[in-house]
Amino acid sequence: MIDSLLRNADSVLLLVCAAATLASGALMIVLRQPMRVAMALITTMIFLGAIYGLLGVHFIAAFQVLIYVGAVMVFMVYVIMLLEVRESDGPRYSRLLVPGAAGFVVLLGVVMISIWHPLPLSVGEMGKGAFGIAAFSTAFLGEYWLLFELTSVLLVAAVVAALAVIRVSRDSDNRKRHG
Amino acid sequence: MDRTQLLIGVAVALFSLGLVGVIVRRNVLVMLMCMELMLNGVNLSLVTFAQQTATTVGAVLVFLIFVVATVEIALAIPIVLLLVRDKRTLDLGAYNDLKG
Amino acid sequence: MLTLIVLLPLLGFVLNGVLATRLGGNLVGKPFVTVVGCGLPILSFVLVVKALLDLRAAGFAPIVEIAYRWALIGNSSFEIAFYFDRLTAVMALIVTGVGSVIHIYSVGYMKDDDSFGRFFAYLNLFLFFMLLLVLGRSLLVLFVGWEGVGLSSYLLIGFWFHDLANARAGKKAFITNRIGDAGFLLGMFVLFQAFGTLDMDRLNAAFGGATLPAVSASLVGILLFIGATGKSAQIPLHVWLPDAMAGPTPVSALIHAATMVTAGVYLVARMSGIYLHAPEASMVIAVIGVATAFFAATVAVVQTDIKKVLAYSTISQLGFMFLALGVGAYGVAIFHVVTHAFFKACLFLGAGSVIHALGGEQDVRKMGGLARKIPITFVTFAIATAAIAGIPPLAGFFSKDEILWYAFASTRGGSPLLWGVAAATALMTAFYMFRLLWLTFLGKSRMSHEVEHHVHESPLSMTGVLVLLALLSAVGGFIAVPHFLEAQLPLPEVHEELHHFETPLLVVSVALALLGLAAAAFLFGGTADRVERLRRSFAGLHRWLSAKYYIDELYENVIGKPLVWVSDVVFLRLGDRRLLDGTLNGMAAFGRGSAGVLGRLQTGSLHLYAWFVLVGIVGALLWSWRHV
Repeated sequence: MIDSLLRNADSVLLLVCAAATLASGALMIVLRQPMRVAMALITTMIFLGAIYGLLGVHFIAAFQVLIYVGAVMVFMVYVIMLLEVRESDGPRYSRLLVPGAAGFVVLLGVVMISIWHPLPLSVGEMGKGAFGIAAFSTAFLGEYWLLFELTSVLLVAAVVAALAVIRVSRDSDNRKRHG
Repeated sequence: MDRTQLLIGVAVALFSLGLVGVIVRRNVLVMLMCMELMLNGVNLSLVTFAQQTATTVGAVLVFLIFVVATVEIALAIPIVLLLVRDKRTLDLGAYNDLKG
Repeated sequence: MLTLIVLLPLLGFVLNGVLATRLGGNLVGKPFVTVVGCGLPILSFVLVVKALLDLRAAGFAPIVEIAYRWALIGNSSFEIAFYFDRLTAVMALIVTGVGSVIHIYSVGYMKDDDSFGRFFAYLNLFLFFMLLLVLGRSLLVLFVGWEGVGLSSYLLIGFWFHDLANARAGKKAFITNRIGDAGFLLGMFVLFQAFGTLDMDRLNAAFGGATLPAVSASLVGILLFIGATGKSAQIPLHVWLPDAMAGPTPVSALIHAATMVTAGVYLVARMSGIYLHAPEASMVIAVIGVATAFFAATVAVVQTDIKKVLAYSTISQLGFMFLALGVGAYGVAIFHVVTHAFFKACLFLGAGSVIHALGGEQDVRKMGGLARKIPITFVTFAIATAAIAGIPPLAGFFSKDEILWYAFASTRGGSPLLWGVAAATALMTAFYMFRLLWLTFLGKSRMSHEVEHHVHESPLSMTGVLVLLALLSAVGGFIAVPHFLEAQLPLPEVHEELHHFETPLLVVSVALALLGLAAAAFLFGGTADRVERLRRSFAGLHRWLSAKYYIDELYENVIGKPLVWVSDVVFLRLGDRRLLDGTLNGMAAFGRGSAGVLGRLQTGSLHLYAWFVLVGIVGALLWSWRHV
């Protein structure tokens, strides 16, 4: 039994990681405190990274953990701590709990039925286009240089916007104090 | 079922979970996090398909999604902060200024 | 030159209308108005005489003068053209001649009126339109004149418009005319559609030609006659003429006696080419004519307003003219137009002189004994009365006798029945006219003391005209108008076997006139109670006649009130308010309602919006199933 397990290790591992991702995703909806929800999301992301790794795109897995978990979720956790959210901060669910759940089931059902038959695009084997960071960087800076430049523009815009938000918040503070 | 179906199924489930989370949860920050979950689901599906071709275009697109998600969070959270400072609560029930 | 005849009165209208009225600041005084207002019509008269001489020199071939091309539509061209032949000559002489003398009369009559200038402006305008009507070559030009005289009539009836009743009378005249014009227009449309031209000489020729025209002559005849009914006050559109007496007396004389009301007669006579081939239409004309004559005479017998008696008399005499037209004696009808113009104008102007002398009194029950006080008016009035009654050798006798003869003996519809009714009417005519003469001038005075004190003869401008018209009433019968017109309007054939009735009927006509005179003298010459006894024994009949057979009330209740009801309930409340406004308001309400319903989607709840996104995604996926 261990033999067959070891022989199909990557499939089993993939299955386990997929199940874990789904479980932590479901946990997100259910947990009450935001900090715990953040932890669940981090778990989901890390398992997703594992899946990417299993697929062979290691650098994307690295990016997933680095950027998503390392930057985005840290920022999120920081804001949660900043806002000092307590447990008893109102009801957990909105008025649309039942319609939402119903819609979820329907959506899932519809999509599952859609993908039940083998997708036409599965032409190639898994792991065929596995490539490393060198190939990626060359392509990014070479063939898709325009996207690279636009990315940098987007980041600059984000920085400027963030500064503007600081200015707005400071102005409204001043107005409240002296107004 | 083969790997592609499994991974696509996972991706769609993640996306649906995120969407339902936005509909169902009341806390603003939790809603933001559910939106991140949606993006992750999309990312997974993109990686799954891109990985089957021999070109790098899929990877580039995935990277761009990372960048956009980062920028989005970088701005969404300050906006939420300002809103929360105004309304003094994280409950979305108080944010109905768009009514009517 | 024909154009000049027409345009001179128009010039008078413009000059007086602009300079002598408040519009131009009352720049000029009465002398200017008199010279322009009377001089230009007299000049027109002179030009008409000259045109007649030219016509005679040309062997009576019609003179045609095209003044202006009005419109060119497709292949048809519509011109303003003037046409002068025998018939036109007779009518134009009457219009300008009698018109000019009435203008001169007005100088004296309207002397103390504030709107002296406006009066002459309107009178000149009327003359312009009447000449347009009479000299026009095509039915279109005639119709312009037709409508124009209707307009002038309205303006002049309501001349003293500060009294609302006068304005209402003017409106009644105009609207009743308009109803007749609908028939006239339909007739014009039919003619134009059939022949492609509205020139009257060409239309007459088309009907008289070898090939039968495509359109029924009787149909056109009746349609045109409907127009004539309105303008010439025949049954059922006669109701406006008695009310039109609200205008100043010269207006009543000129428009509602001598010229405008004869426009209908002129129209039928001019289109004789059609009526010669339309026996049904001619019969209708004759019957309506004689019925109107009889009916109006019965009403005239009991009227107490001096002008109303003359108004009903006019309606009656017009009925006679239409009777003549109906039996084919077109020239005789025009002859009666001429003599009627003389004596009726004289009568109306005489009535005006009486009213002027009495300071505004029009009720004959308050007159009497005026013969010695205003002798010239009395003599001229008496001559004109004798003329209308048909006493030889005055003018009315000749024309009326001819009409009666042709009503009896014409092969185109003459019958003893027509003659009988017409003769009865002639008897009544003599009776009520002499009644009027007795009540007004003779017998004991029933005037109040201050009125009697101020009675005076009218100025020369008025009495001179009266004398002239009385003279014409006396000798006008010797102008052989039917003979003059015979080359153009042939007299109808007479039944051979009835030929020997001619002299007996002539004697009967004279006898009837004298009988009417005797009856009036008997009843009104003696004491008042003879009339009173008669009135009491026929009280019901008297009431009916005094109320003019209640026709005005009938029209009001049968036509007027339902029309107002329909306008108010159906068109205003239902149609305008509920339908149109309701539709618009309904659409707005619908918009508002649906906006209200859709607005409830905007709850402000982001959860709901996100849920809609989910529903949309599911819907899109399901849709893709079908189309993939």
